[in-house]
Amino acid sequence: MGTARARGLPGVEAVFTASELPTRPIEPAFGGDGYHSTGWAALAHERVRFVGDPVAVVAARDRYVAEDAADLVEVEYEPQPAVASVEAARRTNAPHVHATVPGNVYFSRDHVHGEVEKIFADARIVVSGTFRHQRLAGAPMEGRGTAAEWDPRGRLTVWASTQTPHSLKSGLARFLDLPESAVRVIVPDIGGGFGPKMHLYPEDVVTAAVARALGRPVKWIEDRRENLVTMTQAREQVIEASLAVAKDGRILALRADVACDSGAYSVFPLTAVLEPMGTVQIMPGPYRVPAYAYTTRAVATNKCPAGAYRGVGMTVGVFVMERLIDKAAAAVGLDPAEIRRRNFIAGDEFPYTAPSGLIYDSGRFADTLAAALAAFDYPDARREQARRRAEGRMMGIGMSTFVEYTGMGSKTFARRGMLEQRGYDSATVKVDMTGTARVSVSCPSQGQGHETAFAQLAAGELGLDPAAVVVVQTDTDVVPEGSGTFASRAVVAGGGALMQAAAQIKTKAVAIAAHLLEASPGDVAVADGRFFVRGSPERALTWMEVARVAHAPGPAGLPGGIEPGLEASSTYDPPPAAFGNGAHVAMVELDRETGQVKILRYVIAEDCGPMLNPLIVEGQTHGGLAQGLGEALHEEVMYDDAGQLLTATFMDYLIPTAMEMPLLRHVQTVHLETPSPNTIRGFKGMGESATIGSPACVANAVSDALGRAVDTLPMTPGRIVEWIRPQTRAAEVKA
Amino acid sequence: MKPAPFDYAAPETIEETLALLGEYGADAKLLAGGQSLMPLLNMRLARPSVLIDLNRVSALDYMRVSDGEVRIGALTRQRAAERSPVVAKHLPLMTDALRWVGHAQIRNRGTIGGSLAHADPSAELPAVAAALGATFVVAGQGGMRLLLPEEFFVGYLTTAIAPAEVLTEIRFPKMAADAGCAFVEVARRHGDFALVGAAAVVHRAGPPEPGGAEASAGRFRDVRLVFTGVGPTPVRVREAEAALEGQKFEERLLADVARLVAGRLDPESDIQASAEYRKHVAGVLARRALLAAALRAGPQQAGGHSTGGFPKGGRPT
Amino acid sequence: MSKVIAPVAERTVAFTVNGKSVEVTVPVRKTLADALREDLGLTGTHLGCEHGVCGACTILLDGQAVRSCLLLAVQADGHDLKTVEGLADGDRLHPIQEAFWEAHGLQCGFCTPGFLMTICEFLADNPSPTEDEIREGIAGNLCRCTGYLNIIKAVQIAAAKLRS
Repeated sequence: MGTARARGLPGVEAVFTASELPTRPIEPAFGGDGYHSTGWAALAHERVRFVGDPVAVVAARDRYVAEDAADLVEVEYEPQPAVASVEAARRTNAPHVHATVPGNVYFSRDHVHGEVEKIFADARIVVSGTFRHQRLAGAPMEGRGTAAEWDPRGRLTVWASTQTPHSLKSGLARFLDLPESAVRVIVPDIGGGFGPKMHLYPEDVVTAAVARALGRPVKWIEDRRENLVTMTQAREQVIEASLAVAKDGRILALRADVACDSGAYSVFPLTAVLEPMGTVQIMPGPYRVPAYAYTTRAVATNKCPAGAYRGVGMTVGVFVMERLIDKAAAAVGLDPAEIRRRNFIAGDEFPYTAPSGLIYDSGRFADTLAAALAAFDYPDARREQARRRAEGRMMGIGMSTFVEYTGMGSKTFARRGMLEQRGYDSATVKVDMTGTARVSVSCPSQGQGHETAFAQLAAGELGLDPAAVVVVQTDTDVVPEGSGTFASRAVVAGGGALMQAAAQIKTKAVAIAAHLLEASPGDVAVADGRFFVRGSPERALTWMEVARVAHAPGPAGLPGGIEPGLEASSTYDPPPAAFGNGAHVAMVELDRETGQVKILRYVIAEDCGPMLNPLIVEGQTHGGLAQGLGEALHEEVMYDDAGQLLTATFMDYLIPTAMEMPLLRHVQTVHLETPSPNTIRGFKGMGESATIGSPACVANAVSDALGRAVDTLPMTPGRIVEWIRPQTRAAEVKA
Repeated sequence: MKPAPFDYAAPETIEETLALLGEYGADAKLLAGGQSLMPLLNMRLARPSVLIDLNRVSALDYMRVSDGEVRIGALTRQRAAERSPVVAKHLPLMTDALRWVGHAQIRNRGTIGGSLAHADPSAELPAVAAALGATFVVAGQGGMRLLLPEEFFVGYLTTAIAPAEVLTEIRFPKMAADAGCAFVEVARRHGDFALVGAAAVVHRAGPPEPGGAEASAGRFRDVRLVFTGVGPTPVRVREAEAALEGQKFEERLLADVARLVAGRLDPESDIQASAEYRKHVAGVLARRALLAAALRAGPQQAGGHSTGGFPKGGRPT
Repeated sequence: MSKVIAPVAERTVAFTVNGKSVEVTVPVRKTLADALREDLGLTGTHLGCEHGVCGACTILLDGQAVRSCLLLAVQADGHDLKTVEGLADGDRLHPIQEAFWEAHGLQCGFCTPGFLMTICEFLADNPSPTEDEIREGIAGNLCRCTGYLNIIKAVQIAAAKLRS
């Protein structure tokens, strides 16, 4: 490599390659069988494994100059054979992406529950398919960004557009050889996360290392091309799956063989195990599946590493299962809604241990589907479909029903072997002398409205006006250890910790107020900013009056044993999972000549337990639906066979615009609220819900429209025309 | 994504522009609306050493009717053309096509001349210019040259404009008052470049003949059918035009023409669409464009639409 | 024959932004978006793609919505610009901003300034838009969070507010 010309450019501070910027390779720990670890050098030493693998870093006064200098860095590559698909990677004698990963399989796991082989051998009705899901990019509107500054005593402060500040802190400490207490991560406003911003990237390590080497603050803000090339991608899977059913549509057994294209490295903190396990664990869904077997694997390829993206493996598992259920419905001659009803786990069967090993805590699956079908006016919709088909139009109706795990606690991550993931979250609440509360939670917001939701929770618990509660973005120096915002956990885990912390403060404040009001604490309530004696509301104190005493007790003193101040931190480890569920129903029309798909109507019924803020839930539902429609119809990360990325701009990677959404009056959401018996206030998460259910629903609708099984995403116009073609030819032959 | 370094000049007259081109032409790029060039600069796919900004050459921003032509200055903003009553009256094909060009923000800056000079194989305006038989006025220090579309569009992103020349004006013959036209397009998302676009201009021969709904209400005369997205330059399918000449307006004829078009074209595959798909869709759009154009052709009734011709209805929107 | 103008690498340009006259000296290759953000501290204009697709950088140039990532700062010379910072009047939100708040038309907010500026011109041109017209009017702005439905509602609410 030659960096002299780059270094010589005016405005360039420094250029570093791997040998000049020593850091530890990024390597997440995994506890479990069947896993082969890999290290990801923050700057490549001798080998790059995907287009975008960093090899050098230029630090300059601005991005213009930095890009000029990057142009001048000379790198000689010795091309190696590459594998750019699961099929290519798994051929005998395929080139190895990593010497330490035999057969290019990072991870594999088998599971058998019940007499699966025998059931399939005996079953008269078996439906199956080869399901192909494309590679996706998270593409938040704001890309990644990290700024780093070291103080003279060697303490590192990092500002990062991250969903997981504590995880980033731990990782940076480890890979920069620092004690964790030497690292502080502060989260500013974030312009969207969706999963990919929960990983620790080489750029994070390098930015900090460059700041250390230069003794100056350094920031890295990626551009869109860098984002599409190197931010983690997701969901590219090939699945062979079969479902055995009885004549009456009851499920007898399910089996699946899953291969995930995990890219060139196993990402920190979740590892490449994330998607393979997520897909197979959720696949049995809301149904009684007596027997289930799977083989799942994470395959190494020379592409950008895969990581979390809204819905993760759940979206793919639901896609497969819902397509199988529809195939089974056709095979036994049942309406798709009816076959689902016959297989739902009933409301009185909870807690229910699924054949995946997951324990569903609650849900009323039949009610959710019924609500969706009622809002859709399903019988009428089928009649309308018949009418339009008689006119020669290609109309399809499809549905999906699914469960989703949310708010997972430490036991789940431990069981999955994801040792880097703590699974609990924390909150700190401080009420100052003016009776204003300042709240910090280890789950930062990327647009989910935590500033409002957490303020509501704190205000509700403390009896304050929400306007008197300020929620600040996460600072790891302020709030204790936590996991962060991902996998639909913020209200369950972060909110749970917040309610615990707030409860501690309330208990203390009530004791102080009771002392001042000369009542017993059990007789004192707090609401609307006032502490008052039950039954004698005129005996009251404002929050400010109580807070002032708490901070400056004065001659009256505080009741025995109470420390001055109003500050509490709490950590909450949620139960293994709280299960939400949903049902989607859609009507689509296909332009038989161009293959374009129009979503005529879309109904979502979702049960995410008690809704803390219905407006936020609605917003998350719409946003999740848009991403799901993009996944079903428009978005695809494409590489050529040599591993060259073909979709590096927004002209190539097509995220939906307003025009791709159905009209306002054609989208309806219905909400059910079945609380979790196990979480604080019964809360469940829901941020991923609409994305999880929509690709399956649209695929079923398009299959219905075509009268042909569609098991591949995305359903582009070109593919749809091809799928229609045999029918066109048949029609032409007849005519 | 920041541009590589360049020097910048902002001439205010055509003469100043030509002088700059004469001096720096080989290493320079002309900046008009910037909606195509700026992305290339930002991505460093284009690295001119000099950028000549035309946006102050106000003499290039006009739309004039003269004789049988509408003359549009190269710097005319697409948005202005979109809203121009002159264009709507005399060049309705352009008005129809402009609503497919990007989004409002793009059309606010993008120019008629800039789009034509950039000559993207999936852009709408080159097909419009070819369908309307426009004349391109290219100025150099030696004088002016007039080019027809087939001379102007040379290849992929390449026109006949020489390094020291600038496109100053495009002259569009006025469409006949009784011509019908349509621009239809299939794109992955609204506002994207066309996967395939079809521009059709149709004239009617003879008056409508009496009869029922399907009865011939005229015959095709002087048809233009041009595609974008199926070749490096706009593709005019003369065989289809010839097959329609003198024929009655009939659905079956259009289906034959659609097949002819699909058979004749030889597009490339790319990540957005295969060659097979483009051929197929070109046939579909040929039919739709010709149908729409034929419905609008004929002596202008109140509202400007012909009452003769095809029954209404058709594909879902 | 004209004297050849000498191309330059840097220029001082003057324009108005949100009613205020400003002057900046910039390298000629600096985009208007970057100049607004860095030279003028108006960081409400965001960079989402820098190739003219996402619309996060949308501002008004002489009242027209344009992608500031596709303009050079030097091109602003003599023009009248409006950015998102120019919408609110002190603490009083602009009706379009109010509408976004009421309709929950933003989540992360990164795309929002671009939408607001696009909608300024859109509603000035079309004060009583249909839903179809709204969808087309905002199709040049990408949002990854909201799924657009509440943005469309926000435009409807804003249109009503501006009409009254």
